[in-house]
Amino acid sequence: MQNSLNDKPSTSAPALEVRGLRKSFGSLTVLEDISLSIREGEVISVIGPSGSGKSTLARCICRLEAIDRGEVLLMGDRIDGGRHSNRDIARLVGMIFQQFNLFPHLSVIENIILSPVNILGVPAPEAEERGMALLRRVGLADKRDARPSELSGGQCQRVAIARALAMNPRILLFDEPTSALDPELVGEVLDVIADLARSGMTMMIITHEMLFAKEVSDRVLFMDAGRILEQGPPEDIFTAPKLPRTQLFLQRMLAHVGRELVEAAADERRFSHGS
Amino acid sequence: MALDFSAIYPYLHMLFKGASITIQASLFALFCGLVLGIFVGAVRVAPFGPLRSIAAAYIYVIRGTPLLIQLFLIYFGLPSLGLNLPAFTAGVIGLTINSSGYVGEIVRGGIEAVPKGQWEASKVLGLSYMHTMRFIILPQAIRNMLPAIGNEFVTLIKESSLLSTLAITELTMVGQQVRSVTYASFETFIIVGLIYLVMTSITSLALQYVEKKWTVA
Repeated sequence: MQNSLNDKPSTSAPALEVRGLRKSFGSLTVLEDISLSIREGEVISVIGPSGSGKSTLARCICRLEAIDRGEVLLMGDRIDGGRHSNRDIARLVGMIFQQFNLFPHLSVIENIILSPVNILGVPAPEAEERGMALLRRVGLADKRDARPSELSGGQCQRVAIARALAMNPRILLFDEPTSALDPELVGEVLDVIADLARSGMTMMIITHEMLFAKEVSDRVLFMDAGRILEQGPPEDIFTAPKLPRTQLFLQRMLAHVGRELVEAAADERRFSHGS
Repeated sequence: MALDFSAIYPYLHMLFKGASITIQASLFALFCGLVLGIFVGAVRVAPFGPLRSIAAAYIYVIRGTPLLIQLFLIYFGLPSLGLNLPAFTAGVIGLTINSSGYVGEIVRGGIEAVPKGQWEASKVLGLSYMHTMRFIILPQAIRNMLPAIGNEFVTLIKESSLLSTLAITELTMVGQQVRSVTYASFETFIIVGLIYLVMTSITSLALQYVEKKWTVA
């Protein structure tokens, strides 16, 4: 199923590589000896209980947090030192936050073109044209001049995705993109992310949406207590997890959902890519 | 005893002249205090530690000491260092410094009230510290600050009455002079109070207008 979604050569260079990453806040170690690698075009889901360090991992990768030890490489370039400006990093990696973090004083289109125009130096008309194309892609072309306060949570998150894409990053990080949304708005955001996955965008998605992770990812990482405990193709992780810790977590998460809800949600999200 | 304002009428023009001195001093201090205060407030939240401490100490001292003492230090104290300032200049400088301490604190509060996520989103989108301040934080912070800045302006106009202690012929000083010739204390200070009320009301209205305009825009 995943291969029909993403026909990517497994030999391409890693878009993201993390080696021996360690991060602590004071005496609390949040990430311990994390190593992972994401190929270009690969979609990875990171699952695990709250407080397992998933978000901190994403924040370390896009340099919102300084790391204590280890290396982070984006497109083969070490970015954990102080050599890269925010602009350099932004061209490599985009981040989608749980709370959207749209700029409330700017319109939707201004949110999207602010950085391309002021940081990348794209001429405004060109940036706007591209911004509109992105808005159409996330289905919000009619919200061009709306303020974030006039949008639903799902719409806000779709704008945030368009805003991140406007920087043309090589890899996108999603930090629980649907956790702050009302349940009925989750689907529209997941649709957009699934669409990105199909288009070959390299992505790391931190999520509690187990079914979505199963559908959309090439590989699933299970984290607990600051370590990556298990990883593999979604079929393996979800149907035959090796570790008791993973089994327990999945049991809890899936029991939470309930069978009928599962089917309904799956239908609703229109994942009609069987076989 | 009935109030008799007729004794005051011949001196009304003096009171208005005093009011104009009050307005001049207040406007001057208001403008300079705002500029200096925004600077102090921005430094107060700067990423560079030592500068931040200096701004914090400045705000702490200004807010922790009476304006009257600050005025005395400048007008009566500085001459012993060989610096003789005319009363009006000393008064305006005192008001400015005093106001900048309060404005600085308001600016700090306004900036810190902008959610952390705004900084993070800006950073991830490649904005530098200065760009983030200019495009993202300050436009939101100013909106947060406007009501408090309005209060500070009104306070400033009222506190300018302390300039009378430096023998500056502003409204309160003139009021005392008028009282001493007319002996109509109650009437004089009712008029003086009303003139202050008009000035503070106009300021409040103007700021409400700006506030409304800024939030709609």
